[in-house]
Amino acid sequence: MSPDRPRQTDSGILGRSWSRIGLYAFLLGMVVFYLIPIETGLATSIKRAGDFTGRNPYLPPLPWDATLASWSEGFFSLLDGLINSLVLVVPATILSGLLGSMAAYGLTTISWRGQVGIYSLFVAGIFIPYQAVLVPLTVFWYNIVPIQDWWLESVANGISVFGLFEIPSTFMLLGWELGFQPYHWQLISLIITHTAYGIPICALLFRAHYKKLPDEMVEAARLDGASIRRIYRRIILPLSVPMFAVVFIYQFTQIWNDLLFALILVQNNEAAVVTQQLVDLGASQEGVDYPLRMAGAFIAALPTLLVYVVFGDKFAKGVAA
Amino acid sequence: MAELTLDSITKIFTDDDGSDIVAVDDVNVDIPDGEFLVLVGPSGCGKSTTLRMIAGLETITEGEIRLGGERINEQPPADRDIAMVFQSYALYPHMTVKQNMSFGLEESTEMPDEKISEVVTETATMMGIEDLLDRKPSELSGGQQQRVALGRAIVRDPEVFLMDEPLSNLDAKLRSTMRTELQRLQEDLGVTTVYVTHDQTEAMTMSDRIAILNDGVLQQVGTPLECYHEPNNEFVAGFIGEPSMNFFEMAVEDDQLVTEQFTYPISESVRSEVDGHERVMLGIRPSAISVEVGAMPADDHDFATVVDVVEPMGDEENVYLAFGDERGDSVETFVATVGGMQRLESGQSVVAHIPESAIHLFDTDDGTALKNRDLEDLDERDPHLQ
Repeated sequence: MSPDRPRQTDSGILGRSWSRIGLYAFLLGMVVFYLIPIETGLATSIKRAGDFTGRNPYLPPLPWDATLASWSEGFFSLLDGLINSLVLVVPATILSGLLGSMAAYGLTTISWRGQVGIYSLFVAGIFIPYQAVLVPLTVFWYNIVPIQDWWLESVANGISVFGLFEIPSTFMLLGWELGFQPYHWQLISLIITHTAYGIPICALLFRAHYKKLPDEMVEAARLDGASIRRIYRRIILPLSVPMFAVVFIYQFTQIWNDLLFALILVQNNEAAVVTQQLVDLGASQEGVDYPLRMAGAFIAALPTLLVYVVFGDKFAKGVAA
Repeated sequence: MAELTLDSITKIFTDDDGSDIVAVDDVNVDIPDGEFLVLVGPSGCGKSTTLRMIAGLETITEGEIRLGGERINEQPPADRDIAMVFQSYALYPHMTVKQNMSFGLEESTEMPDEKISEVVTETATMMGIEDLLDRKPSELSGGQQQRVALGRAIVRDPEVFLMDEPLSNLDAKLRSTMRTELQRLQEDLGVTTVYVTHDQTEAMTMSDRIAILNDGVLQQVGTPLECYHEPNNEFVAGFIGEPSMNFFEMAVEDDQLVTEQFTYPISESVRSEVDGHERVMLGIRPSAISVEVGAMPADDHDFATVVDVVEPMGDEENVYLAFGDERGDSVETFVATVGGMQRLESGQSVVAHIPESAIHLFDTDDGTALKNRDLEDLDERDPHLQ
C-alpha cells in the first residue's frame, strides 16, 4: 500500500467517522429489525403459559420464570410428526433431485427431435399452483390409483397367507428393523406427488448447470466409447454435486414446509406430517398456549436449518457456479 | 492401422428459418495408412465439420467415409476406433490424469484393470507426464493438459487420430516445441492422422500432405511444397506462405502485362499461357523478389521503388515497397523478403527485381492457376515434387 494513504484518512476523519457512525447505526437497526421476530419467538417459548399475557412480549422472562417445559412438550408432541416428515422428505428430495438431473441431462446434453417442446412442458409445470391440482390429485390418489388401499391389502394378505406373499412381508420386516411403521406406507402417494411436483424446477436448475459444461467434454466421452447412460454416471453426475446441494436444500425446505398436499393426501392421524401436527399444537378449549406453539414452530423449523448448515458450503458453490 | 477415404462428402446444415447452409461441399480425399494429413483453411471453411464427420459427431449429408475400405457413415463414434484431441483438450475435470487416460480403455475394451494401469503408465512415461498421474487437470499447465489429452488419445491405440487445432491454446514457444514433438510421435506410432488448423505454418511444417479448404470446397491436396510452389489457384497461393504472395491484377497487352503502377514484359512462352485472357492476376512470392540498393533498373524486370515500411525479423526483413517514388497510406505496397543483414530504411529508393521464372499467373474470374513458377532449379533438391 502507498505510504500516503493513512494521511488521506486523517484529513477527513471527522466527516468520515460521522458517515461511519450513520452506517453502523443503520446496519444495527436492520439487524434488530430482522432478529426481533426470532427473539420474540424464543423469548415467548421459554415463558410459562400463564406468564405470556401481561408481560411485554419482546422481553425475555425473568431468569427464575424461564422454563423449557414448552420445548420438551413440543418436542414429544411433534416427534411422530417429525419422523413422518423425514420419511416423506428424504426420499422425495432425493428422487426429485435425481430425476430432475436425469431429465435435464436428457434435455440438454443429448440432442433429439422435439426436446424443446418437452422442455417447455417442464417449464410450464413449474407454474402450476398447488391449489389448481387439489381436486384432480384427490381423485387420482383415492379413486384412480388408490395406492394406499392396494398396499394395505397386500400387506394384510402377505401376513395372513404366509409364504405366498413373501415380498410385502419381507419389506415389512425390513421396514420395522429400520424403524418404519406400517402407516408410513400412507406417505407413498405424498412422496410421489412431491417428487413429480419438484422435477420441473430441479430440471430447470440442473439444465442451467449442464448448459455450462463444455460440449467437447461429452463428445470426448462419446469417442472414448461411453454410452449415454455411462456418460451420465461417470461424467455428468460427479460434476453435478454442487447443484445437488442447491436442489436438495431447496426441495427439502419446500417439501418439509408443505401443508396443503399433506392435508388432502394424509388423512390418517398416525401418518400426519409435522406441519399438520403443528396446526393443532397448543390449541385447546381453554385458549391458545403461545409458548408451546412458539417452541413447536422452532422445533419444526430446525431440520431445514440443519440441512442448510450441512450443505451450506456446497450450496454457495452451486449458486456461484 | 488403416487408410481413410472421404468420398464426395457433403454437409448441409439447415438453419432455424429453413435455409440450407453448405458447410462442406463434395470433398474427396484419400488418406493412406500412416499419413499425416493437415486440413487447413480460414475460419468457417468447414475443416472442423469435416473432422467431426469423420469422428461421427456430425451426420454426413451425402457421400461416404470409409476406414480400411469399410463404410463407417452409420457407425456411432464409439465403434469407429478413432481417437480425437480437442482444441480445449476436453479433459474430465473431476478425474485425475490417470483416470482421464484410463476412461477410454475402461469404456471401450474388456481390458482388466491391471493391464489398463500398465498401458496408461507406459504411455504417460512416453509423454513425460508420469509424475502428474495423480493430479487433476486444473492443477496442470496448458502444455501439460495438452500432453494428457494426447496421451488419452494414444492409449486407445486407435486406427486414426483426429486433432482439432490442438496447439492453438499454447504460447508461441511451446507451440513450436509441441509441433516437433507431435510430428515425431506420429512418425513413431505410424497412425493415420487428420489434423485441423487455420495456421498455415503448422500445416507446412507438420504434414505429409496438406488439404486446403475454402468455403467448404476442397482447393488442393498435395505435399506442402507442391501447395507452396504449384498452387492450383489464387486462394491456395495466397493462403500458403508467410508473408502472403503479392498479387497484381493486370491487363494483357501484346507481350506485356500492364497496371497503372507498372508494366511487366512477358516472354513468348508465358504469353502463350495467357492466350485468350484480357486480364490476369500476377502473383509473386515476397522471397522471390530481390532488392538492390543504389542501382539503376538494369533489365525489363527491374523496377524503381521506394521503401515504405521495414519489418525486421532478425534473420530476414519484410520490406514493404511502393512503385515510383511516392509512399504513404494511399499508395499500394507489395512485400519483399530480404536478408536481415541488408539494412534498409523507410523512404530509401531501391530497385526491385521480379524474375519472370518466379511469377504465377491466375485467371481473374475463377482464380485458376494459368502458370506457376518454373521449378527446374528446385526439382533436384526436393524429392516430393514431381
